[in-house]
Amino acid sequence: MEGIANYLDSLIGGVDLTFYSIAIGGLLWGLFVLRPWDENANYNSALLEKTVNLIHFGSKALVITQLSKIGLKIWLMAVTLGKSPFPAFFNTVQFNAGLARATFAFALFLFIKQALKANLRSKTHWLVATAIVVPLVMAAAWLVHGASRLEDRGLLMALTVSHQIAAAAWVGGIFQILALWGLKKQNAIAEELWPLLLKRFSALGIVAVALLLVTGTPLAWYYIRTFQGFIGAGYGNLLMVKIMMMGLALGFAWINRQAVEEYFASRSLYALTARVPYYIEAETLILLTILFTAASLASQPPSVDIPHLTATWEEVLNMFHPRIPRWESPTHEALIAGEAGRVAIVGQVPSEAATAWSDYNHNISGIFLTVMSFFAMLSYSERFHRWARYWPVGFMGLGIFLFFRSDAESWPLGPIGFWDSTFNNGEILQHRIATFLVFMLGLYETRARVKADPGILPYLFPLMSAFGGMMLLAHSHVGFEAKTAFLIQVGHTLMGVFALILACGRWLELKLDAPGKNVAGFISVFALFQIGVILMFYREPLY
Amino acid sequence: MRFVPRILLVLTLAASQTAFGHAVVTHNSLKLKPVPVNQASQVELSFNSKVELDLSEVFLVSAGDVMKPVAASPGAKPGQVLLDLPALAPGEYAIKLKIFAADGHLSEDLLRFFVKEPK
Repeated sequence: MEGIANYLDSLIGGVDLTFYSIAIGGLLWGLFVLRPWDENANYNSALLEKTVNLIHFGSKALVITQLSKIGLKIWLMAVTLGKSPFPAFFNTVQFNAGLARATFAFALFLFIKQALKANLRSKTHWLVATAIVVPLVMAAAWLVHGASRLEDRGLLMALTVSHQIAAAAWVGGIFQILALWGLKKQNAIAEELWPLLLKRFSALGIVAVALLLVTGTPLAWYYIRTFQGFIGAGYGNLLMVKIMMMGLALGFAWINRQAVEEYFASRSLYALTARVPYYIEAETLILLTILFTAASLASQPPSVDIPHLTATWEEVLNMFHPRIPRWESPTHEALIAGEAGRVAIVGQVPSEAATAWSDYNHNISGIFLTVMSFFAMLSYSERFHRWARYWPVGFMGLGIFLFFRSDAESWPLGPIGFWDSTFNNGEILQHRIATFLVFMLGLYETRARVKADPGILPYLFPLMSAFGGMMLLAHSHVGFEAKTAFLIQVGHTLMGVFALILACGRWLELKLDAPGKNVAGFISVFALFQIGVILMFYREPLY
Repeated sequence: MRFVPRILLVLTLAASQTAFGHAVVTHNSLKLKPVPVNQASQVELSFNSKVELDLSEVFLVSAGDVMKPVAASPGAKPGQVLLDLPALAPGEYAIKLKIFAADGHLSEDLLRFFVKEPK
């Protein structure tokens, strides 16, 4: 249960940031973009209600998430320490600041329900809602990384909270734009509002990005300091991933801004309706992943604190060095024989069999994905499309391979029975679910690509890929061998980025018209190829 | 096995690994002041963040991974923790830490050390 509690604890940070953004960013959207009190604006009730409902939802979800965070923390401590964390937990900053944050989020929820919804165009009500948010944001300062630092605490807390507000303005605004697009599609708002509000948000977005950089740069400098800390430790690595993803998100934002400018020059709505909404959807996937990565970043020890545990750039590069994939697996007996020594704390003996077993699993999985991506690329050719479009069948094969190889201590290879291992070990249960989902994903994606009218089935694959990438970036490796854990992590964070590109590419392939859809589709399967290559050359550090 | 999370998550799925929280030991006295043979001693640890000792646990791990709780008390400086070790025979040992940092992260750490007869 400790594994599940720990995993949920690391995930809930990203969920929390998402709802925080929807609530806080939604209010900023109302104050600076929508400005509902503007008498000249052509807003109808549908638009104002939708806007406020989204903020209302964000505040409600934030209350639930914040209380869940406290509950999870209690659970985590109880299962990790093997005893009740009370009454000591009541005296922690975590409990008090968390409770305060939940209380102010609840106050916002109540105010929106009782007052703002009845006074959608009242500037005073919007300002009161914003005033309620101020203590909520301040309470959050005691829940961030900087709060536990021994030096420069106030500065770090202030910078982090400002960084969060900037991120919330961007992400919350994007959610409002998606809601606006929903209304536009239903012809529920005046036609000119879509380009107008996109233009206004563009200005807010630029301010948000500037604030992200102004606050993020000193934080990065404070927590990292050296080039080796940037590339050779988990904290620096996740920051690098954040920068890469922010570059992708900014790319979409820039394309959208260009489209808005073109509209005001030519008055042609084509790009604003046939492309921009889908770029915004892809941007949303990226921004959500950034939030989950940010939550993961907050659980990493800053590079500046672990100079003795950082890897050199040569060691990092070596993890991606091309080599012949491992074709032969050690025997199951050799693997099991080495396990006791490998996991021992005192008298630890690194197990070559365990490392080779893991390498084999990674490399063969890489071959699966590389071959699949090769056929996927071929499927874009008219000549090969008829049979190459069956490439997702490979996921089914991979699912079967993983089922046999992933938990070697349990059935069918190990002595522990199927049901016993599945329901008495949280990690094995998750592996079994994951293996089943890989198999099912292959089944559904094959159907999606073969059926004449697959309905919404094709959207499952990009959503699951984005979710997978998000999860990959949201959890970090452990533990006692920090440098080794980082060298494992560095490969999978890069795979997480490619999983996101895979998702966005496929999403745009499904949404855009030609030739954009073909370009996006090809980029998507090329990302799958990259994941395959990383896995194919993978070598686990011996420990 | 460790293999699954790294593969399956890429393939759109979730699996579990323990989170590596951010309270880490930045300095310890074990290198400068080795643990003496058959004599109770005190080990000094410095963390990179404030820690909640009431919600933390420290164990001494000896051969066979036998774990015994160790008394921990706050040191004179913020982030400093003092551990009272019992008298130890020569051999390999480890200190296993489960630390609740003030920012809410529960992290585990391990410090391996040897108790050696003086030369």
